[in-house]
Amino acid sequence: MGSVVVEQLTKNFSGVTVLQNINLDIKEGEFFALLGPSGCGKTTTMRCIAGFEKPSSGTIKIGDTNVNKLAPNQRNCGMVFQSYALFPHMNVFDNVAYSLNIKHLRKSNVFKKLGVYTRMLNSKIMKYPKDIEQKVMDILAYVELTDHAKKLTSELSGGQQQRVALARALVMEPDVLLMDEPLSNLDLKLRHTMRNTIRKIQQDLKITTIFVTHDQEEAMSMADRVAVMKDGEILQIGTPTDLYSNPKTPFIADFVGTSNIMPGTVLNRENGMTTIQIGNQQIKSTLATELQEVQVVIRPENINVLDEKEADYDNAFEGIIQVATYLGSTVRYDVKVGEHELVVDTTYESGDSILSTGASVKLSVSPERVLLI
Amino acid sequence: MNWLKQTFTGIGIVRLLVYAFFILFLILPLVSVFLVAFTNEPINLFGSLISLDTMQTTIEQFKNATLDNFKAIFSQGHYFDALKNSVYLAFMVSVIVLLICVPIAYGIARTKMPFKRTISALCTIPLVVPTFISAYAFIIMFGRAGWVTYIYQALGGEGLLIDPYSMTGIAIVQVFFFFPYALWPMVAAFKISDVSLEEASRNMGAKSWLTFITVTFPLAIPGMLSTALVIFSVSFSDFGTPIILAPTDLNLLVVEAYREIAGFFNWGGAAILTVIMIAVAAFVYWMQHAFFKGKNYDAVSGKPKQIKLNDNKALTISLSAFSGFVVLVPLLAMGTVFLQSIATTWGKDPLPNGYTLAHYKTIFTSSLGNIQNSLILAFGALVLSVIIATFVSYFVVRQNAASLDFMTTVPLIVPGIAFGIALIQTFNTAPLQLTGTAMILVIAYTIRRIPYMIRSTVGTMQSIKADIEEAAVNLGASSLTAAITVIGPLMLPGIAAGSILVFVTVIKETSVSILMAPAEWAPMSLAIFQNVLRAEYYSAAAMSIVLVVLVIVLQAIANRLTSKQSS
Ligand SMILES: Nc1ncnc2c1ncn2[C@@H]1O[C@H](COP(=O)(O)OP(=O)(O)O)[C@@H](O)[C@H]1O
Ligand SMILES: [Mg+2]
Repeated sequence: MGSVVVEQLTKNFSGVTVLQNINLDIKEGEFFALLGPSGCGKTTTMRCIAGFEKPSSGTIKIGDTNVNKLAPNQRNCGMVFQSYALFPHMNVFDNVAYSLNIKHLRKSNVFKKLGVYTRMLNSKIMKYPKDIEQKVMDILAYVELTDHAKKLTSELSGGQQQRVALARALVMEPDVLLMDEPLSNLDLKLRHTMRNTIRKIQQDLKITTIFVTHDQEEAMSMADRVAVMKDGEILQIGTPTDLYSNPKTPFIADFVGTSNIMPGTVLNRENGMTTIQIGNQQIKSTLATELQEVQVVIRPENINVLDEKEADYDNAFEGIIQVATYLGSTVRYDVKVGEHELVVDTTYESGDSILSTGASVKLSVSPERVLLI
Repeated sequence: MNWLKQTFTGIGIVRLLVYAFFILFLILPLVSVFLVAFTNEPINLFGSLISLDTMQTTIEQFKNATLDNFKAIFSQGHYFDALKNSVYLAFMVSVIVLLICVPIAYGIARTKMPFKRTISALCTIPLVVPTFISAYAFIIMFGRAGWVTYIYQALGGEGLLIDPYSMTGIAIVQVFFFFPYALWPMVAAFKISDVSLEEASRNMGAKSWLTFITVTFPLAIPGMLSTALVIFSVSFSDFGTPIILAPTDLNLLVVEAYREIAGFFNWGGAAILTVIMIAVAAFVYWMQHAFFKGKNYDAVSGKPKQIKLNDNKALTISLSAFSGFVVLVPLLAMGTVFLQSIATTWGKDPLPNGYTLAHYKTIFTSSLGNIQNSLILAFGALVLSVIIATFVSYFVVRQNAASLDFMTTVPLIVPGIAFGIALIQTFNTAPLQLTGTAMILVIAYTIRRIPYMIRSTVGTMQSIKADIEEAAVNLGASSLTAAITVIGPLMLPGIAAGSILVFVTVIKETSVSILMAPAEWAPMSLAIFQNVLRAEYYSAAAMSIVLVVLVIVLQAIANRLTSKQSS
């Protein structure tokens, strides 16, 4: 098991820069997510680590070893492919045993090598030795596939195939586990279950894991830390809560959770309070900023809907409800305030009334919750 | 150093070996034969690299090189006649094939002509019969003692209806046995075609046959010209028909080249004829690719759609009659061979005088060796093809080996007899004295047929996603181990289908067998050829039937495999 350090990684495909100066410092045992929209270079980053792409420049270290010059089959990175890439001509057991066979192959003399090859081509002719048998059955039990060991992978459901892919990667006891959008081929319900499964296995084994996804919810709910990527660059690295409450750019604010983002101009800063002009309204924030022109970011759940009788607040605005969406435990309102339309989430308890379209409301935001970027 | 290390991995070595194989047994012979056209003596390029003495001799040979052979093409009527005749023959055959295919293709694609299915099925017969057997069948039909001649003379005709031993005879055999190559692409084109254009035309009130002539037909013309070029090269390269039927006074390139080498050991003469053959074949191939690239039938847009089929009685019946006649000729030819194979004697009569299985008994006792040889040689070529084609398709698909891709299409262009001559010249001295061995025969078969195998394996390889192989490598396998344990087994169906194809074509192979097979390794095709030359028609007939049956059975197995794979 090991840490992964990526320094100044750059990758060009025939002149086009796909990755630029990627720096990552992933700790041993960490669950690290690479998050970004499709085409931003997540897969390429992962393939550079696994050795399937050669970096144009930069270094990659796994543990203390610089792996730049190591072939992909010598890096000991377990990889779970987006398509699972299971071997369709082998049954579940043979799939999982593949890397163990390879290890035997490396250790044996020519004569024994032939035996291992025979086993890999047809495991009915050549039986597995006890140690492999034991290891494979253990890992299959771990991912709850014991009963399916002799089935062809095409006979399994999507979630089961996913677990075969996971078991196949885990059985080689990799230094790092790489997963490229592993859940994207599963339906919604299964995706939630698998999130928990993967997270639990990762914590059990304390295995360093890099998890690629374009789904912010997935990244935020599973990872210890998340790197947000865009156009081949890393914008910000942080814990999920960090990213959520202190996004460094409007893109992250928008990509990580829902945000109301409005351009504004800083008027003054007095008594630890910054006043910003947005259109013909003013808003106060406790955050300081050097900038003159800023993006004001407010999370939907940080906007309160005021009762008529409540006293005046610092940041209070009049608005008109455009749409009300009932989401179970919350109600989401689209509210027109001046020329902006704000998204507002309110908690909903049974018995509460839902405001109707066209109603006027008063909204307020605590100045601590007004982010300036 | 780093480069060396990367090259000499397991798979890197295999790649070098594959390149070496094609360079040694394909490129080197072709280059040599070109040089021999100047030096008039076999030159030993490979030997020159190894031994200084040989190098010295080779340099001497180059010093004496002349342009005489090239001049002779134009001055000495001999070579020029051969070129002229061969081109004329191929040209006539392709024109006639196109003409007879248009009505049949229209009938199959666009009408409700009677017996459509039967006719379609019978159209595959010519493809399983090697041309030297068809040519021989024509002799026993149209020759002096043939039953056609009997009927013709009984009806008051004089002499022969058609002299099989003539340019006309050769052309007729080729037309009736090569037309399916053009027919099926044409049927496909007529079926697809641009339905929207046709509907527009029909909306304007045009009759369906008028629409066909004014819209569908013109759209298919580029594709038809491309097909005509295919027929041209098939006819131009065909050895089986002319070697049996060409009279001594008819010069054809393939026959002339064979006589120069097998009769007179005239290295220079054979070389120059080989160079001419390859030049013409390459030119035709180039034309086909330069002018008709992307203009094949499949470029005609539109989806196959239920088109209203023409059921005009007069039209469909005459189409059916015409198509029936065209498919009947090869059928009768094969029927005649069959009758001959079970005839006690068969003089100038419509039917044999009596029936016997004695000829088959003879075959399976005294000529069993030939059958075994065929099977062994074909199996050798199969094994070699499987190994090489699997790796070639791996290198072409996964490593973009463009030069390898190019090299493996070269055998498609080079006529068999030309390739055979090139091999004989190149490998007739030490250090690689292979001429006259079974090994060089197997290699020749392999190289000639491997393009078809590679086409099949490349297709399968492309359908295997790259990440499957990456998964194996990620799990620790080297590229070679991944190829053996994952890619190989996944390619098995494609390999199986392709290898049966190789097996079948090797059994049918004529030119290389006749030219190169040593006596102790004579395959069936050579045995039949020699029997025909010795006028031992009965055993030739029986052996032909055995060969054709073998081909049909194997072909059926291959078809099943491929249809299973695609379903
Ligand atoms: N082999 C390649 N050759 C050329 N361009 C590539 C190649 N692989 C990826 N790219 C390009 O690199 C960019 C990043 O791709 P990728 O890493 O797959 O993105 P992601 O996984 O984030 O969706 C894309 O614009 C893609 O087109
Ligand atoms: Mg990707």
